[in-house]
Amino acid sequence: METLKKKKTISPIQVLIYIVLSVLVVLFVFPLVWMVNVSLKTNAEVFASPFGLPSVLQLGNYIYAWTKGYLGRAMLNSVIVCGITLIISMFLGSMASFAIARMRWKLSSLVMTYFMIGMMIPVHCVLIPLFVRFSKMGMTNSLIGLILPYITFSLPMTIFLMVGFFKGMPKELFEAACIDGCNIYECFFKIALPLSKTGVCVAGLMTFVGNWNELLLAMVFISDTSKKTLPVTLTYFVGPYATNYVQMFAAVVIAIAPTILVYCLFSNQIVDGLTAGAVKG
Amino acid sequence: MDKILRDKKAIIIFIAPAFIMFTLILFVPIIQVFYYSLCDYNALTKPEFIGLENYIDLFTDDETMRIALKNSLFFMIFSAVSQQTIGLILAVLLTNIKRGRNFFKNVYYLPAVLSSAALGLLWAFMFNPRMGINQMLAYFGIEGPMWLSETSGFIVLPMWVIAFVALWQYVGQTMMLYIAQISGISKELYEASYIDGATKVQTFRYLTLPLVKPMMVTSLSLNCIGSLKFFDLVYNMTQGGPNHRTDVLATHLYTQGFQYFKYGYASAISVVLLIMCLIVSFIVNKCIKVETYES
Repeated sequence: METLKKKKTISPIQVLIYIVLSVLVVLFVFPLVWMVNVSLKTNAEVFASPFGLPSVLQLGNYIYAWTKGYLGRAMLNSVIVCGITLIISMFLGSMASFAIARMRWKLSSLVMTYFMIGMMIPVHCVLIPLFVRFSKMGMTNSLIGLILPYITFSLPMTIFLMVGFFKGMPKELFEAACIDGCNIYECFFKIALPLSKTGVCVAGLMTFVGNWNELLLAMVFISDTSKKTLPVTLTYFVGPYATNYVQMFAAVVIAIAPTILVYCLFSNQIVDGLTAGAVKG
Repeated sequence: MDKILRDKKAIIIFIAPAFIMFTLILFVPIIQVFYYSLCDYNALTKPEFIGLENYIDLFTDDETMRIALKNSLFFMIFSAVSQQTIGLILAVLLTNIKRGRNFFKNVYYLPAVLSSAALGLLWAFMFNPRMGINQMLAYFGIEGPMWLSETSGFIVLPMWVIAFVALWQYVGQTMMLYIAQISGISKELYEASYIDGATKVQTFRYLTLPLVKPMMVTSLSLNCIGSLKFFDLVYNMTQGGPNHRTDVLATHLYTQGFQYFKYGYASAISVVLLIMCLIVSFIVNKCIKVETYES
C-alpha cells in the first residue's frame, strides 16, 4: 500500500470523481433542506417565493403539528414499541445465534436455514391471518399486538448478522473460558456478548430503524388514534386534499429527527460493524 | 469443553424462545394464508372452501391485479438494475478516494434510514403539479408535467417517478453492503495487482468484481424482495391512483384486504406475492455463481 500512497498529486480523474460525488451530495441533501425551509414558512410564502428563506421563522407550525397532529403521543408509542422490540429481539436473536454458531448439535444448520427463510418472506404475506388471529385474541389495537410481529420479523436479520459475528470469534477464547470454569451461560453473557458489541450495535440499529419506519402493519393493526405510531400518524397528511404543506413538513421533520439523531451517533459503527465480519454473503 | 458445547438443555434454552415465536407468528400464519386463499372469506363470514376460484378471478377478471403485477415487476427490475449498478459504482469510487470518504458515505446512506412514509410525503410535495420541482421548472419558464397523475404509456410516469425516488432512498443501502464487502478484500491482492501493472479498470474487472459476488447474492435478493413488497412510498405518494394505475401488489393487497375486507381474495394476492419472492430469491441464488477464494 505504501507504493500507492507515494502518488501525492491529485489526478484529473480524482477531481472528476469528487465533482460527481459532490453533485450527488447536493441531490441527496437538497430535498431535505427544502423540506426544513418549507416547514418554517407560511403557506402563502410557499406559493409566492418557493426558493426564498422564511421572512419570520414560523415555529408555530411545529407546535401545531406536535399538538394537533397527535405527534407527541405517536412519538411516545413509537419509542415504546421500538424500544421493547429492540431489547427482546436482540436478546432472543443473539441467544439463538450463539447456539447456532458456537454450540455443537446436528440440526444447527437446518435451524439456521429455517430462520433465513424468514428474510425472504414479506410481512404482507401473513398480514391477514395475523390480523384475524389477533383480533380474535383482542390484541389488535394494542401495542403488544405490534410488538410481537415486529420482534419476529426482526429475528432473521439479527440472527444473520450475529451468527456471522459469533463465528468470527476464535474458539480458543471459549476453550480458555471453559477451562477456567465458565458454564455455557457465562460463556454467552460474559464473553460472547460483550465481545460482539459492534455486531449488537449494527443489528440493533437495523432493527430499530426498520421498526421505527414500519407502516403497513401498524396501519392495519392499530385504529385507535392514541395508539398509532409515527409513520401512521403521518398518513393523516396523505391525499389530494392535503394542502397544508407547512404543518405537514413540520410533522415530517419532527418524525425523522430522532432517526437522524440516532444515525449521527452510530453511523460510523454501521460500516465498522458490517466490515468487521458481520456480513459474509 | 466439548461436553459443555453439546449441552442439550442449554441449546434448547437458547433456541426455543426465538424458534417458538418464529413458528407461531410467521410459519403458522403462512400455512393459514394458503388455506384462506382457497376460501370465500370476508370480515363477517366464516371461511368457506371454494377451491381455486380466488386465483381464477385474480388472473382472469382483475384489471387492477394485472396493473399491479406489471408495476411490481417493473419496479423490481428497475430497482435491481439501477441500485445494484449505481450502488456498486459508488462503493468502488468511495473506496478509491482518499479524503472525505466517511462524509460521502454517511450522506448517501442517510435516506435509507429515514422513514419512507415521511419521505413519501416530501416527494409527493416535490412532484406536486404546482409545487416543488415544477416551481423550479417554472422559474426557467418550463411547464412541468403532471408527475404523479399522468396516465399514458405502458409504464405510467408516476411509476417512473416512484422508482427514481426509491432509487434515491435505497441506493445508499446497496452501496453500504458493497463497501463492507470491498473493505474485507485483502490489501495484498490490490498491491499484487498494482505491481503486476494492472490498470484500475482491470483491477475492478478481475479482482473486485469476482470478490464482491457473494455480497451480490445477498444484496440482490434483499433488493428484489424489498421492491416486490414495496408499499410505503406508493401509498404516501399516489395511494395507487389515479384510477389504480400505480397500484403495486402490496397496495392492491391492502385495498382488497383492509378496505373491502375480502380476506380470502387478499390472501390469494399474498400467496402470489410470497411465491414471487421465493422464486426470485431462488433464481438469484442459483444464477450468481459464487466461487470461493482463500481469504
